[in-house]
Amino acid sequence: MTRRSDLSHRRLALLALLILTQTACVTATVQAVRETSTGMTSGDSIVVLGRRSRPNSNETEFNFVNCVNRKVSSGTNAIGVVDEQRFRDALFPWFEPRTAPGQASDLSELIAQPALAERFNDIGLRYVVWVEGSTQRIDQGGSLSCTVTPGSAGCFGFLTWENDSSYEAQIWDVRSGRQAGKVSSEANGTSYLPALVVPIPMIARVQLGACNSLSNQLKTFLQDS
Amino acid sequence: MVSAPKPYLLLLRRVAMLALLVGQLSGCLGASVAVPTEFPQPLLPKIPVQMGLVLTDELTRYVHEETIPDYGEWSIDIGPAQQPMFTQLFAGMFDAYQRVASSADQGGLDGVIQPTIKEVQFSIPEQTRSDYFEVWIRYEIALIDNAQAVATLPIAAYGKANVQNYGFASTAPALQAAARAACRDAMAFFAVQFMREPAVRQWLASNAASVTPTAVPESANNSGGSS
Repeated sequence: MTRRSDLSHRRLALLALLILTQTACVTATVQAVRETSTGMTSGDSIVVLGRRSRPNSNETEFNFVNCVNRKVSSGTNAIGVVDEQRFRDALFPWFEPRTAPGQASDLSELIAQPALAERFNDIGLRYVVWVEGSTQRIDQGGSLSCTVTPGSAGCFGFLTWENDSSYEAQIWDVRSGRQAGKVSSEANGTSYLPALVVPIPMIARVQLGACNSLSNQLKTFLQDS
Repeated sequence: MVSAPKPYLLLLRRVAMLALLVGQLSGCLGASVAVPTEFPQPLLPKIPVQMGLVLTDELTRYVHEETIPDYGEWSIDIGPAQQPMFTQLFAGMFDAYQRVASSADQGGLDGVIQPTIKEVQFSIPEQTRSDYFEVWIRYEIALIDNAQAVATLPIAAYGKANVQNYGFASTAPALQAAARAACRDAMAFFAVQFMREPAVRQWLASNAASVTPTAVPESANNSGGSS
């Protein structure tokens, strides 16, 4: 009796795990445009910064920048990454929304400042990576309703939504004060939520797909000349 | 002897608690926040003067309170952040600085700076139909020498925060982040603009020894958060 109960618990746990790990497909594409040669030596690091402009629907999410930081600084061919906030504090006030250089050519003026050049050297900064873009829901449909009564509960229906991620990273060479190139990543996927008593989410991790492809492409771009 | 609460009272209490929780999560009941007091020191060539800093009680106790119809009562405690803000700023900008009680206490200092908050405004996402909390702080910063006003710098500082970056209970942290961003913006503006002010340059030229006139890169714009 206990053995049968254990088995049914195990099956339920497996089913729950299966339901929770269902993912829908994500299509991602990356592109890179190289303007100058690149390369990293030991002790070199990069910083990944999100553009923080006036309110707009295209502002890069904190978690996307964090994701790129995490992916670039781990795994095969990991690159040293300086934390965004630590960098903004260390270079204050030169990378605030009001004062941040708008284009790579403005960087050379900053590097000409001895104190700034020294600070860049101290943190071993080789490249500044500006990330722009966001993930948006572009389509949705279906309906789902749930009912709770004493002793029972259940949902019935079908929901679907499509997300689209579009990000671009501009890579600025701190030593030359020039733009080294651009890497862009686009991802698209549709999530489904069918419910027949129990809702079974099949989530397309679109932003994660864009983050993975952008991070891998960034690593390749920075380490291959 | 205490009797057990009746079932309908328990249910009512639960519904009220749920409504309160939903209200807090959706941000319609207002919030009370204080600006964090950690600020970085600016990385600038130091101006070779000994500056006095006047921080009045009015400034260091500044609280902005506002009631928004249908969206509750809001409060932003800006005052406690002013002292760390300006001491960090002055430590990075000037050769030496000293807190003084008033502009009349200049003593042997080259000049005295007195900041004043003239106005604070903020908006919540429901008002702008966006995902952003926005905070504006209007400062007036006076440079005084021998009890005479040398220059007055108006500063319109701006900060914003996207609620999407702060999870479910995003109201208070997002408003706090917007207010903090506005304070950092005020620091950045002052740090970049002070040396560009003609009256300040003239005063420095007549008072201080050698001040590098191109201390601040021209590429640093001051368009109010347009990077």
